[in-house]
Amino acid sequence: MNRKTMTRVAAAGAVLATAIATAGCAAGSTDEGPITLQYWTWAPGVPAVVDVWNEQNPDIQVEVVQPAGADDILAKVLAAQRAGEGPDMFAAEYQKLPNFVVSDAAYDITDLVGDAKGDFTDSTWGLVTIGGSVYAVPQDTGPMIFMYRADLFDQYGLEVPTTWDDYAALAATVKEVAPTSYLGGYPDDASTFIAYAQPLGAEWWSTDGDSWSVGIDEAPSQRVAEFWQPLVEQGLIDTTHFFTPEWNTMMNDGTLLSWTAGIWAPGAIASVAPDTEGLWRAAPMPSWDGEEEVGLMGGSSAMVGKTSKHPEAAVKFLTWLNGSQEGSSLLAAGGLFPASIAGQESLSSLEVPAIVAGQTDFWTLAADIASKTAPITWGPNVQVAFDTYGDGIRAATQNGGSYVDVLAATQTAVANDLKQTGFTVK
Amino acid sequence: MTSDTVPAAGTAPQRRRSARPVLAPWLFLAPAIALFALFLLIPMGYAIFLSFVALRVEGGAFGTRQQVFVGFENYVTALTNPEFVASLGRLAIFGLIAVPLTLGLALLFALLLDLPGVRATRFARTSIFLPYAVPGVIATLLWGFMYLPSTSPFNYVLELVGLPPIDFLGPTGVFGALANIAIWGGVGFNMIIMFTALRSIPSEIYEAAKLDGASEWQIAWRIKIPLLSPALLLTLLFSLIATLQAYSEPMTLKTMSNSISYSFFPLMKVYRDAFGVDNISGAAATSVVLALGTLIVSLLLLRVLQRRTFEEVR
Repeated sequence: MNRKTMTRVAAAGAVLATAIATAGCAAGSTDEGPITLQYWTWAPGVPAVVDVWNEQNPDIQVEVVQPAGADDILAKVLAAQRAGEGPDMFAAEYQKLPNFVVSDAAYDITDLVGDAKGDFTDSTWGLVTIGGSVYAVPQDTGPMIFMYRADLFDQYGLEVPTTWDDYAALAATVKEVAPTSYLGGYPDDASTFIAYAQPLGAEWWSTDGDSWSVGIDEAPSQRVAEFWQPLVEQGLIDTTHFFTPEWNTMMNDGTLLSWTAGIWAPGAIASVAPDTEGLWRAAPMPSWDGEEEVGLMGGSSAMVGKTSKHPEAAVKFLTWLNGSQEGSSLLAAGGLFPASIAGQESLSSLEVPAIVAGQTDFWTLAADIASKTAPITWGPNVQVAFDTYGDGIRAATQNGGSYVDVLAATQTAVANDLKQTGFTVK
Repeated sequence: MTSDTVPAAGTAPQRRRSARPVLAPWLFLAPAIALFALFLLIPMGYAIFLSFVALRVEGGAFGTRQQVFVGFENYVTALTNPEFVASLGRLAIFGLIAVPLTLGLALLFALLLDLPGVRATRFARTSIFLPYAVPGVIATLLWGFMYLPSTSPFNYVLELVGLPPIDFLGPTGVFGALANIAIWGGVGFNMIIMFTALRSIPSEIYEAAKLDGASEWQIAWRIKIPLLSPALLLTLLFSLIATLQAYSEPMTLKTMSNSISYSFFPLMKVYRDAFGVDNISGAAATSVVLALGTLIVSLLLLRVLQRRTFEEVR
């Protein structure tokens, strides 16, 4: 092409480039008017509740974005914040909270939450208090329950175990009356294991002033490990990891007679084994020595992002969503087990989950269990513990290694990782 | 490039150097250069920068992590990490099974398809190439269900015959299982490369060989394979690089097997470091080490084999 055309093309290109560059700047400035907050979450029932808020609050509009599941949201939020475009609010599991705080992703909302503390039990509020400051509003919790196939228990003449020793004996009985079935699985991932160890007072992480202590291979955890090892070695317990295709099949065809998991278990079972509707019942988790407190598995809270420009509005929304009677009862209707006291009280007006249809006291039982949960402190490197434990326990089951050694290896890995990041570890 | 004068008919065109700078080639290249810089050069530079910094906590049990310069500390940690070295070892086992079998089978099929008088070549070529078109994750899921004890057709047949089932997803079987998926997907692509190279060999050579009384087997062994050495080198290089980057197959199979850990292969460890535990600097250092290793292996391979293969062709 000749010189004239080339000059015109170059000029057009320069104009285009400038336009693109300045367009980015223009979007940033806002004047007073309705503000829009971005809320990242994965829970399916939340958008419907947010619609109710948006109707009632035209000056604070909330936009729900569902960018990732619980496992990936840490990486996505950190990446977005480091790029300068983090969300105003996002959901985070309790075990990830310290990680967010230490990665400088969380806004300190201690001064903004006001009276919301009264909407929750002390141990639930403790889950979002880190180093004396509040960083999130609890949304749902996962106290452990024992889900079992009532029809098969009746068929084989089995009784619901109340202690873990009963459970061990029952596992052996199951193998006699139904050789191809298993009573249940073992804690082959750290969140289940920690939930089992919590009632015994296990403290995988604890703070002492400015330093951390790691207590993964202490006596309570060792007791749990030593309980499960012989059961697995004798083949009394199934070793398939939950939510794998094999495990889904076993839940469907009655090979697995029970599952101990968080209070969200009914919804999870319904999604993998919908044909077993009505055949399951829920009971309190077996206890070690008759204690009433149970462990927690999962459960999430809602945090305010460090880069948010409207933290007060965000906190106002979050305390309504999770703490108020209206918000948390809507969440409950949407399928979450709410962390707030008002929310749990509202459950009694709901239908029991279809998977346990026929157990009319399900919600009363759930609320009772949820009121007595054991406290727990999570450290800033929970993922290291989960990965090391998960890999280690599965290798030990495959190769016949000792579970207590897995705990020791996890202890070393977690303590070293904390030291390498710069924390003081006692 | 245009010039102002049109040569008169019947005379040889006269090349006159134009005094204007030549912009057209650069304009054509500009999009490719821009994309290359944006998506390859800049991220690579950033990753190398990240490998020299790290996030360290300052102050208190819940102090926040700040980015500090740490020099080569990430590299030392990466290279001395026993998990990393173990993952390289596992990768070596996987590669030793997958690469020779892939290339051997590809060569065999290419030679078979090149035989005179072979029929149904188009069907054969398509069906051998088809697995390559299946995305890695889907192929792994497909094979994964064929490996799972409860849904495996192979174990079903073995049970019918009375033989013990094979544990495809156990600690030793999983290497063969992963290699099988890689071989199944890789044979087609490599076979096409070799087949195309075979097709470009002039047929006079074969005629001369037949006149001398060579059989098909001798032709294959003495003529075709030596003439294929550039293609063989190329496919070997591709296969090695692909092996070093194996990621989607073990990650997908991990959900079905107890034997695959978070750091089974080096790239899985890099992903977990970067996005699982937020140690992006450590992951950057590991990936730089991997990239350098791949580069060195490729250069060595080319240097050692290039002279032999390319000189023979000349």
